Amino acid sequence: MSSEARQDMLVFLLTKAVPARTTRVVTVGGVLRREEMDLVINPLDFKALQAADYAKRYNGGKLVAISMGPDFKVKPLLSELYSHPIEGVDEAVVLSDRRMAGADTWATAYTLSLGIKKVLDVNKAAVDEVLELVESGAPPEKVLERARELYHSNLLPNLIYTEKPGLPQGVVQRYARGKAGAEEVREALERVRKELDRFLIVAGLKTSDGETGSTGPQTAEALSGVLGKKIPDITHVTDFEVDVESGNLIAERKLGSYVQKLRAPLPCAITIMPEHRPGVVPVVRRKRAALFSYRGKVREVRVWNADDLGADPSKIGLAGSPTIVGPGIDIGGPPVQKFVGRTKVFTQRVEAFEFNGQRYGPFERFAKADDLPEELVRELEAKGLLKTFDLRDLLEEVLGGVVVAAKH
Amino acid sequence: MSSSQQSIEVRIEGYRDVWVYCEHEDGKLTRPTTEVIAGARKVADKVGMDVVGVLIGYNLGDLVKEPIYYGADKVIYCDDPRLKDYQVLPYTTVLSDMVMRLKPWALLFVTSEIGKDLGPRVAYRTNTGLAADVIDLIVEDFVMNLPTGRYVYKDCIAQVRPDFATRIAKIFTPKHRPQISSVRPGNFTPLPRDETRKGEIVRWEPRFEEDDFQVEVIETRKVPKSEVKLEEAKVVISLGLGILRDASGRPRDPREAFRLAKELADLIREKFGVETEIGASRALIYAGLKELEGLITKERQVGQTGKTIAPEVYIALGISGALQHRVGMQRSKRIVAVNVDPNAPIFQIAHYGYVGDLYEFLPKAIELLRSM
Repeated sequence: MSSEARQDMLVFLLTKAVPARTTRVVTVGGVLRREEMDLVINPLDFKALQAADYAKRYNGGKLVAISMGPDFKVKPLLSELYSHPIEGVDEAVVLSDRRMAGADTWATAYTLSLGIKKVLDVNKAAVDEVLELVESGAPPEKVLERARELYHSNLLPNLIYTEKPGLPQGVVQRYARGKAGAEEVREALERVRKELDRFLIVAGLKTSDGETGSTGPQTAEALSGVLGKKIPDITHVTDFEVDVESGNLIAERKLGSYVQKLRAPLPCAITIMPEHRPGVVPVVRRKRAALFSYRGKVREVRVWNADDLGADPSKIGLAGSPTIVGPGIDIGGPPVQKFVGRTKVFTQRVEAFEFNGQRYGPFERFAKADDLPEELVRELEAKGLLKTFDLRDLLEEVLGGVVVAAKH
Repeated sequence: MSSSQQSIEVRIEGYRDVWVYCEHEDGKLTRPTTEVIAGARKVADKVGMDVVGVLIGYNLGDLVKEPIYYGADKVIYCDDPRLKDYQVLPYTTVLSDMVMRLKPWALLFVTSEIGKDLGPRVAYRTNTGLAADVIDLIVEDFVMNLPTGRYVYKDCIAQVRPDFATRIAKIFTPKHRPQISSVRPGNFTPLPRDETRKGEIVRWEPRFEEDDFQVEVIETRKVPKSEVKLEEAKVVISLGLGILRDASGRPRDPREAFRLAKELADLIREKFGVETEIGASRALIYAGLKELEGLITKERQVGQTGKTIAPEVYIALGISGALQHRVGMQRSKRIVAVNVDPNAPIFQIAHYGYVGDLYEFLPKAIELLRSM
């Protein structure tokens, strides 16, 4: 293991609760009323979860799911993610606030980026706290006690403190026993802190309700602003790996009729194509990853509101959304319809004529006669000018038109 | 209430022209790009503005004239070796810089891997809205009734997109400019390419930012072109879950329906000399039937999460016609619906109906076509 090798990695999963059915969707003025509908986790997010889970198992670290929506609806759904599909998520956060309702992708990305930042801040604060204790010359037992608490809150990796059988003792534990110096503890903590800045964000390709696929790239852009550092995104990822030595992400993504293979430093955001299949993590990797992982799962889903996030109220929810969904419109009325075995059509072209003082026509061959007065239909039928539309007529009319169109 | 309410007209001033981000591959504009130029033309003519093609890349050469040939009035291009490959950060920087300094009224992307990456990032950075996956663009006023009055935002773009809640939704970006959309392929007809068209061509100097080049392109390789050319086909024969049973409810081997549909497709291709392809509904693809493995793949999917197509003829076999399917094919010139259920929603939009068994329809149609 080289000294530059990766340690733990925070992996964020962006996920969304979407209406379970496409019927009975409740909207008010174009805004989905999520709180009034049956919701499920967006189906494509499970592909993202698999991918995020793979990255975590390969590298170590922990997997944190972040979602925005009414907490009483979203919390139970996020709870399900803990056991999905292999190891599941370790922590889950729902950003919930009435003021966040009605957000478009811009406001959603802004809110999610604050959620990510807060998770980072909480984790960094834990590391800093132990670091300060060590630096202030606190007794090793006190450092040990605080580290144990933070470990149980899932905020320190096994490398610093662990109660996992089969893993070497954490550096703070060795420090408490006089087997490691303060310098070694400081170094380890500083490395962990640095690693916290090299996270991976994984999102599904798009959601089944909004269908935009914009949230992944926009969250990377929003987070770039929030953290004051440019964070790249790679959309439409079909394959990826985190290179242990360099700590870089190597990803393949679809791009028109090409595939691009990219090397990106972390942090980076990716959106996962549905066809992505996570690879198998070799046993040696898994063992190494365990060392750089955390205690495990924090089953209580955390809920943060706009104030917890320090959100600018003018940038969240409906207020922060540049787009507005206008009133819905119908797709358009049915066209002239002909049914095989039912519709009466003209057998040939008939010039314009008068009938009972009304003018009719001209009619082309296969013109529909259903709407003509019954008396007239009978007379035309008697003259052999009408017939019931059959399959041959359909093929002739439909495909005859194709040939004409193809010539133009 | 509203009659006594005061109407307040709002005009967002200082923004002009409809920009099209022009995607190119192998030295050519992509077809969807030429479609979006046509869409931009429609909108720009309504409001008396210009269509501006925006090109980013390296060694663009004569490509910079192409947007003009396809109907643009002006081209702004940025040609730089560091822009040889598409990369989200430098491309976002260049395009956002152009947008913030030149202030376009609208900016249109193609719904594609680039459009769905660059569009959202540029929209966020330039602090404006993005309507993704739009199928039409209409210029109209946006009215917002608030307690303080009836606000009329003049001349906005109604960005029409399929929406499950409201059938078709109009997305507006009333207060922010540019109005950014990504436009789904297959919804506008490209204007005929005309080399005599003239227009101004302007070179843009990039101003990159720190960290723009942190991502490195290791390799770019061409993917073998898909055998399935749904978007280009003049006739599409589509299969739905209805192929699993015949009219009497007896289970049928779905491979038989595929074989018959393919036979019909081959016959049409041969007889009429038109490209004919097999499509499928989402339901059939996600059923994940072993029998159809390799035959019915995702690239055949028609509908909201699949492809939007507008062939001359669309034959829907055993497809009930859920809204998500309809938005992917409703612009077909002639829709033929074959379904045992006379109340299937597909019949609401079909031009031709055949209420009956597709396992009868197919052999009969094949036989008739042979004799024609």
